[in-house]
Amino acid sequence: MDIQGEHRIAAPRETVWLALNDPQILRECIPGCETLEKSSDTEMQAAVTSKIGPVKAKFKGSVTLQDLNPPESYRIVGEGKGGVAGFAKGGADVHLAEDGTDTILTYTASAQVGGKLAQLGSRLIDSTARKMADDFFRAFSEKVAGPQSEELATELQDELDPALAEEARHIATEDAAYHTADAVEDVEHAIEEQLQDAEERVEVAAGRGFLGGPYMWGLIVLAVMIAALAVMN
Amino acid sequence: MGVEGIGARALRKEDKRFITGKGKYTDDKVLPRMTYAAFVRSPHAHAKITNIDASAALEMPGVEAVLTGHELVADGIGNLICGWMVHSKDGSPMNMGAWRALESEIVRHTGQAVAVVIADTQELARDAADAVNVDYEELPAIVSASAALLDGAPQLHPEAPNNLIFDWEIGDEASTDAAFASASHVTRMEIENNRLVPNPMEPRAAVADYDVAEEHYTLYTTSQNPHVARLVLSAFYNVAPEHKLRVIAPDVGGGFGSKIFIYPEEIVALWASKRVGRPVKWVSDRTEAFLTDAHGRDHKTVAELALDANNKITGFRVKTVANLGAYMSLFSSSVPTYLYATLLSGQYDIPAIHANVKAVYTNTTPVDAYRGAGRPEATFVVERIIETAAREVGMSPVDFRRQNFVRSFPHQTPVIMCYDAGDHDATLDAALKAIDYDGFPARKSEAASRGKLRGMGLSCYIEACGIAPSAAVGSLGAGVGLWESAEVRVNPVGTIEVLTGSHSHGQGHETTFAQLVSERFGVGTETVAIVHGDTDKVQFGMGTYGSRSGAVGMSAIVKALDKVEAKAKRIAAHLMEASEGDIQIEGGVLKVAGTDKKLSFSEIALAAYTAHNLPEGMEPGLKEGAFYDPTNFTFPSGTYACEVEVDPDTGKTEIVNFVAADDFGKIINPMIVEGQVHGGLTQGIGQALLENAAYDENGQLLSASYMDYAMPRADDVPSYQLLTTETLCPGNPLGMKGCGEAGAIGSPPAVINAITDAINNNDLAMPATAERVWRASRGALPQAAE
Repeated sequence: MDIQGEHRIAAPRETVWLALNDPQILRECIPGCETLEKSSDTEMQAAVTSKIGPVKAKFKGSVTLQDLNPPESYRIVGEGKGGVAGFAKGGADVHLAEDGTDTILTYTASAQVGGKLAQLGSRLIDSTARKMADDFFRAFSEKVAGPQSEELATELQDELDPALAEEARHIATEDAAYHTADAVEDVEHAIEEQLQDAEERVEVAAGRGFLGGPYMWGLIVLAVMIAALAVMN
Repeated sequence: MGVEGIGARALRKEDKRFITGKGKYTDDKVLPRMTYAAFVRSPHAHAKITNIDASAALEMPGVEAVLTGHELVADGIGNLICGWMVHSKDGSPMNMGAWRALESEIVRHTGQAVAVVIADTQELARDAADAVNVDYEELPAIVSASAALLDGAPQLHPEAPNNLIFDWEIGDEASTDAAFASASHVTRMEIENNRLVPNPMEPRAAVADYDVAEEHYTLYTTSQNPHVARLVLSAFYNVAPEHKLRVIAPDVGGGFGSKIFIYPEEIVALWASKRVGRPVKWVSDRTEAFLTDAHGRDHKTVAELALDANNKITGFRVKTVANLGAYMSLFSSSVPTYLYATLLSGQYDIPAIHANVKAVYTNTTPVDAYRGAGRPEATFVVERIIETAAREVGMSPVDFRRQNFVRSFPHQTPVIMCYDAGDHDATLDAALKAIDYDGFPARKSEAASRGKLRGMGLSCYIEACGIAPSAAVGSLGAGVGLWESAEVRVNPVGTIEVLTGSHSHGQGHETTFAQLVSERFGVGTETVAIVHGDTDKVQFGMGTYGSRSGAVGMSAIVKALDKVEAKAKRIAAHLMEASEGDIQIEGGVLKVAGTDKKLSFSEIALAAYTAHNLPEGMEPGLKEGAFYDPTNFTFPSGTYACEVEVDPDTGKTEIVNFVAADDFGKIINPMIVEGQVHGGLTQGIGQALLENAAYDENGQLLSASYMDYAMPRADDVPSYQLLTTETLCPGNPLGMKGCGEAGAIGSPPAVINAITDAINNNDLAMPATAERVWRASRGALPQAAE
C-alpha cells in the first residue's frame, strides 16, 4: 500500500525541519501517540494506540530517521508490534520545498501490515492510513504555523461573532406569531444558511483549539439552534 | 412415522433437534474443572522465532499454563503427517517437511500456532495469549506456487528443495504426443482454479479430558471420521494407544472435507489436558477457521486438447501446479493426483491422456480436500476446454460433446478409472429440455433488446466417489483402507440400532439409514436408531467424505441386514415349522408363503433373546456385523445447464436459470439428495462468482472474515431445477452412486461457460466478480465505448 500527499505549511522551511525532528511536537501530532522518546539523533521509541476497523491495539515500536539531508529531505521508517493485533511497518520519504515564506511538504509512504490487522482490516487500512496522515499533517501544520493561524482565527471571530450574536439576538426576540408564513420561511432559510456557515467556522476554529476551544463555539451554535427552534414552532 | 422405505421423501428425523436448537455440539460439552485453550498465532507468513516470552501471561491470575513446541517435543508428541504416499515420476517418494503441532523454530504460514495458553475461562485464555510476547525474525515469503518453483524463491522446508513436494505424472506421454503431432486442431488454455475456504457453519472445536486414574483420554471433537482421528492420534502423534483414547464426534455442523483432517489444535488439547490435569476446551473463532482450516483447490493448469479433422478428440495434455500450502495436510497429496488427474477423461472417449502435476509448498494455509476434492478442478479443466474447443471449431457445444461421449460401459480410460455404468445422452437430453435450449436464441435476442447479455453454458461432469476400493487405493499409496463397517442390533422388543462407521454432519444419515431398515423389515423408522460418531460404540469405521456414506456405508448396512434377515427367517421357519425358503417378510411380519401362519418381527426378536426354542446349534441373540469394501469407485454423472444474464454496464451476473440433471443411480430419499445437490450447486456457484482466499504478496490472508470473503447468499442463486435419471451402479448391492459432491464438482464450468458465452470473451477467471466480468465484457463489446 502506497500513499502520497502534499501539505502547505505556513512557516519557513528551517522551522518545519526542526519541528519534524522534535519528539515533543511529533508526539503531539501523531494520532493516538502516547509516548515518543528520542534514543539518539536518528532513533525514537514510540507507543501508539490505533484502531483500524474492528481491531484496536497499542503498538510499540521504533522509528528511525535515515538519509538525512537537512533541511530538504529525510526518510522515516518504523515498525510497530501490536500483540495479537499483528504488526505494522513502513516508511515515508519526506521532502520540504520553499514556496515564498511557506513550506511545501510532500511525502510518499508505504506500509505493510500483518496478523489480525491484515486479516480483518485490510480493506480499511488504506483509508485509515490516509486519515492518520491527514490528521498528522493538519496538526503539524497548525503547530508549526501556530501564530499565524491564531491571527486567522481572531479575524474569524471579529467577523463571525458579532454577526452570529446579532442574528441570534434578532431571531430570539422576534415574536413568530406576528409574521406571515412567507416571513417565517425566509427566516428559516436564513437561519439554515447561517447555521451551516457557523458550524463550518466553528469546526475549523474548534479544531485548532483556539478561542476558548470547542466549548465556547458549541455554546454559540446552541444559541442559534434555540433561536431557530423558537421561530419554527 | 410409519414405514418409509427406499425412495420415500421421508422428513429428516434429526431436523427437529437441529431447528429447535437442541443439537449437541462439541462446544455444548461442559466438564467439571474444565479449562480453556487459546493459541498464540504467528502474524508472519514466514519467520524465525527468536524468543517466546510467556512470563507476563503466566503471572495473570487464572492462567494454568503456557505451553510451546519445546514441551510438546519433549513429551514425544509426533509431527503431523500426510497419510497418502505419492511418488514423483522419477520414482522418488514425496518430499514431506516436518510439521509440529506447535512450532518453535520457523513459522511457515500466517496463523500458525506457536504456543497455547490454558486458563480458567476462554476470555482469560485469550487475554493471556495476547500477553505472550513472541519475537520473530522475518524471512521472505512466497505465496504463488508457480513462483515458488523458480530459482531464488524463498525455501520452506529443507526436505523439499525448490519447494517441490512431488513431480507426478499419469497416462501415456508418448501416445499423447503422437496425438498432438497428427492433430488437425489444438485448443490450448491456461486455467486457474481459485483457492477456497471451506466455511462449515460450526467452526472446529475440541474438548479433551484426561482421566488420571484410568490413564485414558476422551476427545469430543468436530470430526467427519472419529475412528480415523483416533488411529492417527495414536499411531502417529503418540498421544495415547487406541484402547486408551475414545474419540466422540457428536452433532457436527458441516464439514465439506475440512473436518476429515487432524489438526494441531486437537492434538494440543489432548496433550495439554494431561499436562494440566484438567479438561481442556478449544473452540475456533471464525478468523482462526479462515487461517487454519485446510483450504481447497488452488491449481494453475495449462491444458491442450487435440482434435482430428472430424472434431473427434484424440489427445489431452495437462500440466498442473498445485499449491499445497505450508505443510502437507492428512490427504493433501491425493487431491491433485488420484482424485484429480484420474477424472481428466470426463464423459469423453479420449484415447490418449497425459497429465503432469507438480505439488508445491508455499507460505499459505495448508490445502486439502474440500467438497469434490480434485474432481471439481478436473471437471473445470475438462468442461472449459471442451466448450472452448467447440467454439473454436465452430461446432455446437452440444454436438461436440455428443460426438465424443463414452457410450459403451464398462469404459477403461487412459487414466486408471474404469467407468462402470452411465448414460450421458440421457442427462444431456433431460437438461436441454428442461432449460429449453432450443428457445435460447430467442431469449438472447429479447435480452439484447433490453441491453442485457444472455449466455448459455453447459457442463457434463463425471466424478468418481464412493471412496474407495481398499486394494486399489492401497496400490496408489493410501495409508488406510477405505471400506466401511456396520452392525445391526435388534433388541429383544424388536427395536433396532444400526451402528455405522459413517458420520453424519448434515447428510441426514439418521433418516436414510433408517429407511433401509424400514424397507427391509417393514418396521417404522421411529423404531430404528442410527448410532455413529463414537469410537467406544462403533468398533471401527472410515467416516464420511468423498460421497461414500451411501455407496459404501449403506452397502455395509445392507450386508449386515442380509445376515439379520437370514437369521430371523431361520428362527421364523423353525417356530412355524416351515421351510426357510417359504418365509416372506412384509409389513413387519414374517409369513409362511401360501398359509396364514405368521409371526411379527418383534416376536422373532424376542424369541432370539429368550432362546427358549431356537434351531439346533443356533446362538442366541439377533445382532450382526459386516464390513463392506467396494469393488470400484461409483461414477455419478450429469449435465448442468446454466443460463445467465449479464448487465454490461455493471458486470453483474444474474443466473436466470440453472438445471441439474444427475444420474445418482438408486436414490434412497429424493428430498435429502435434492438438499445435497442444492448445497453443492451453491458452493460451486460461490466458487464461480464470489469466493476467493486472497493473500497479499507477503503471505497475509486478506480475506479472513466475512467482511472480505464473499459467501453465496440466497439472492445470488436461482431456484434450481433438479432432475435425475437412473443407471444403477453395478458395484454395490443397492446400485447407488454418491450425490454429496456432484453439485460443487459440476457447476463452476457451467457458470463460466455461460458468462463467457454472454460476453463473447473466453478470458475470464474465477471468481467472476462484477468487476472482472465488466472488464472482460468491455473488450468484446462494440457498444461499450471507452
